[in-house]
Amino acid sequence: MAKLKLALYWAAACGGCDVAVLDINEKILDVAAIADILLWPVALDFKYHHVRAMPDKHIDVCLFNGAIRNSEQEELALLLRAKSKVMVAFGSCACFGGIPALANFSNRQGIFERVYFEAQSVENPEKTLPQPHIKVKEGELELPEFHDTVRTLAQVVPVEYFLPGCPPTVKLILTAVDAIAKNALPPPGAVIASNKTLCDECERVKEDKTITKVYRTHEIIPDPKKCLLEQGLLCMGPATRGGCGAQCVKANVPCRGCFGPPPGVLDQGAKYLSALASIYDVKDEVGIARMLEEIVDPAGTFYRFSLADSMLKRKRL
Amino acid sequence: MKKISVDPITRLEGHGKIEIFLNDAGDVENTYFQIPELRGFEKFCEGRPVEEVPRIVPRICGV
Amino acid sequence: MSNNNFEPKIVGFLCNWCSYRGANTAGTARLKSAPNVRIVRVMCSGRVDPTFVLKAFKQGADGVLVLGCHPGDCHYAEGNYKTARRMPLLKKMLNQLGIEDDRVRLDWVSASEGARFTQVVNEITAKVKELGPFSRDEGKRNPGEAWAPGGAHPTRATKVAAQVNEPEAVKPKERG
Repeated sequence: MAKLKLALYWAAACGGCDVAVLDINEKILDVAAIADILLWPVALDFKYHHVRAMPDKHIDVCLFNGAIRNSEQEELALLLRAKSKVMVAFGSCACFGGIPALANFSNRQGIFERVYFEAQSVENPEKTLPQPHIKVKEGELELPEFHDTVRTLAQVVPVEYFLPGCPPTVKLILTAVDAIAKNALPPPGAVIASNKTLCDECERVKEDKTITKVYRTHEIIPDPKKCLLEQGLLCMGPATRGGCGAQCVKANVPCRGCFGPPPGVLDQGAKYLSALASIYDVKDEVGIARMLEEIVDPAGTFYRFSLADSMLKRKRL
Repeated sequence: MKKISVDPITRLEGHGKIEIFLNDAGDVENTYFQIPELRGFEKFCEGRPVEEVPRIVPRICGV
Repeated sequence: MSNNNFEPKIVGFLCNWCSYRGANTAGTARLKSAPNVRIVRVMCSGRVDPTFVLKAFKQGADGVLVLGCHPGDCHYAEGNYKTARRMPLLKKMLNQLGIEDDRVRLDWVSASEGARFTQVVNEITAKVKELGPFSRDEGKRNPGEAWAPGGAHPTRATKVAAQVNEPEAVKPKERG
């Protein structure tokens, strides 16, 4: 039986998703037994020209992690889409924008100025900026165009499957690999995680969902047995898809929403905001003002991993 | 001048490419190493609560 | 920066029991008001999901008005208290997303307050007119270029996801 042709690529990523694949430990040998990996920059030495030389739809499955924020990443997304039968948006960045999508609070100019001029550890008196084309003595050099906005993979190319998580858990990766190996993938468009919210798999005791104060995570040490939201911490569980095994919550820290919105929810941040305001039990102006003071960074907290996937996609400048 | 591109560099974390220019004798005239990525953590950590920064910046490098 | 030719599109979510009837009262009394608010009747201002506000902006609105019963008078007792908390928090979040305070307004109008309805409509229209059109810029790929939208959306997928083994202790919760 012919081996599966697999490709793994990273765009605006951190490498964590690639490491997560390696976290399946010795099972990577099982993967190597059933698949030929044709591209995996972190681990193998294939180049872009190898991919360009492939016939269309040559790759069976491409696991694409990282968000799209420059022209090279966009080009690779389009290239791999053309060369692959199945594209999987692997990890929160490819699915929702992830942490890099927090850059959508700014744009190219704002980011360049901070990174290359203003940052405290930068010495750049000549105000040099990266250029897409530059002539040097020997010839020409190119760099990708830096886009104003971070996009998810699905905003650039059609995607068959979504595997959320920052990074996806080993269990979910194995579920996906298993389904690919057995040719038993669900219908296209599926998210390979749970169809319920995180609260469903969280084992903490949930009682009366009303709060009168929101605490920042350094202000209290939470009771490990009680619901974190009920203790006044901004746990994103109610507005986050489950399937991760509630790892953060088990470590006594509130969920930050890396699995993205639950099924049917169009905007994770708005939904969470609605839920939070529902349970915060104040009725007067003073109480409401206090609530607003306690929630210091609503957009950054509620859209921590999903700003690119939100309704407004970015800050309007 | 002939140009050899190593694109992408592999088996490390991050994106990079190397452009090697050869002179007529076939010797290396000059080599340029470029990093074709930027995400802007320095910018988008601004405005975030300080206690959240340790949950954001590990995503600079997942290795 | 006012543009005299700009006529803002404002979406108004009005609750059935108080503010919608207040609008009706304004009509019966033949009170004149700016025509820019497009009214959507909801049963309670508490029905207004913040997602509606975002969707209104995304789909072409320049401003959003939410009107409900006065605090204490909600037909469903608690609904407008939830709105009273949701809307200011939403406005704080929208500020962070570059949407000016004056584009979204929450107010209370009772069934008999036709004049108040007119006043609120005129005020928000004037303020949004001065702010100008809502920025449609979703971040062009390169200046002057728009991108082509991609394919499947992860949360709008209606197909069943691959089943992940569920923890044993969890029983399915019945919806009330």
